[in-house]
Amino acid sequence: MSMYTKEELFLAISTVIDPEVGFNLVEMGLIYDASSDDEGNVKVTMTLSTKACPLHQMIIQWVKEAVEKMADIKEVDIEVVWEPSWNITMADDNVKKALGA
Amino acid sequence: MSAISQEFAPPFKLIAPFFILGGLFYLVASFFVFGFSLEDASQFSPKTIAFVHLFLLGFVMMTIFGAMAQLVPVVLEVGHFGVELFYAIWPLLLIGTLLMAFGFLYSPALLPYGGVVVLIAMMIFVMEIFMTISKVKKLTLVMSSVLIANIFLFFGIIVGLLMALSYAGTLSFDIPALLRSHIYLVIGGYINITIMGLSIVLVPMFTLSHSFSLKPLYIAIYMMSIGVVFVVLSTLFDGVILANIGYFLALTSQLSYIYIIYIIYKTRPRKDNDVYALSLMFAFFSLIMALVSGGAYFVFQNESLLLVALWLLFFGFFGFMITGHIYKIIPFLVWFERFSPLVGKQKVPMLVDMVPYNSSQAQLIFSAVGVLLVAFALLFGVEILISAGASFLVVGAFAFFRSMLYMINFNKEK
Repeated sequence: MSMYTKEELFLAISTVIDPEVGFNLVEMGLIYDASSDDEGNVKVTMTLSTKACPLHQMIIQWVKEAVEKMADIKEVDIEVVWEPSWNITMADDNVKKALGA
Repeated sequence: MSAISQEFAPPFKLIAPFFILGGLFYLVASFFVFGFSLEDASQFSPKTIAFVHLFLLGFVMMTIFGAMAQLVPVVLEVGHFGVELFYAIWPLLLIGTLLMAFGFLYSPALLPYGGVVVLIAMMIFVMEIFMTISKVKKLTLVMSSVLIANIFLFFGIIVGLLMALSYAGTLSFDIPALLRSHIYLVIGGYINITIMGLSIVLVPMFTLSHSFSLKPLYIAIYMMSIGVVFVVLSTLFDGVILANIGYFLALTSQLSYIYIIYIIYKTRPRKDNDVYALSLMFAFFSLIMALVSGGAYFVFQNESLLLVALWLLFFGFFGFMITGHIYKIIPFLVWFERFSPLVGKQKVPMLVDMVPYNSSQAQLIFSAVGVLLVAFALLFGVEILISAGASFLVVGAFAFFRSMLYMINFNKEK
């Protein structure tokens, strides 16, 4: 039994915006997975658009804070993975269209 | 999780003087073009040498050093060895550059002093980078490029100091022979390889490009490195063949670098042509034209062609690569320091909001027209075009400086 669904967690994380491109992390396709257990422990699996992202740690912190704003969250574990590596096909159509991809 | 560490990112107050001084030198160098006549258009005229040092030391190196203070932790994935050392670098580089420029123009006796001060500034920089690199466990291609570039800089400034001492009459080295090594070590070995390495991190980051092969970059860096070594050897052993092999390898390197940038450009998902993208387009247009002009010089042996090539390489390629990246780097640094703590608490600007549209576009257009006019003046020997070009360059440089101050002071009161 999970406290929050993947969609609810994605909705919370969608408040985090990449200041360089101006889109939120969910619509950029950077959040691969999110789940929670019934005790309020959350696991987020995500990536970044580049390994050299200078906002790496800050973005992780923002994601953590966005999830922690949800009620009864106990702990948030964020795993940053590089496989599969992000590419523009993972982004939502509105992002692709806005970027001209 | 792969640990990528930016927690040692330096404070903006440490980096800001490099960019502000770099912008001022860009302005001074643009004004300097007014003082040129076609009679001065020779690679050995004191005016040309003073101008080249003002531009390359004052603008190019000053800005690159400031950028490296921020980018080294990003590229090397470790913290600086001693980031506070950068507080000493910019004043020394400023004093040394001014002494050298005045020395070339008015009093060669100043050159050894200027040369030594520049040497100290660069040695501090190079040693800091070497010590930082020593913390890296496994070097990637881009990290290797930083190491290789700084080794060339180390030798390039030693050769430069020997030249300064010879120019002032303290030593009696053959200056034209050393000049070739100095130019190739510093410009080919340091500036070019640094730009190659950093741009392969930054350009895909800003254009969101992915899945391209790094093989052309590998070829570019190693061809340039070997080419520089050949040119240096040619001055030691007086070998024309060695020099020609070096020139050919440097050309191959540039073509390979242009190719990888073209692939990144062609496959970029982010298609908006902002001032950054347009600056890079003009930079690479200038680089290609510089290579064409440089190639023509070897065929026709006309010094004007060489000067056009160098002009396009310096003010066109280096100039626009740097100004273009400034429109990305400064907003990021200011945003990181001023607005990132406010994320989630209040509305914060996007980075693009921090770039002034009008003055950045004015800089792009005026500087580009200025570069082209001066190139035509040198190529066709039309004196009036130098002043015309200088007028455009000065307006462009003012617009650049204004843009920079706008970005640095963006919503400062908040």
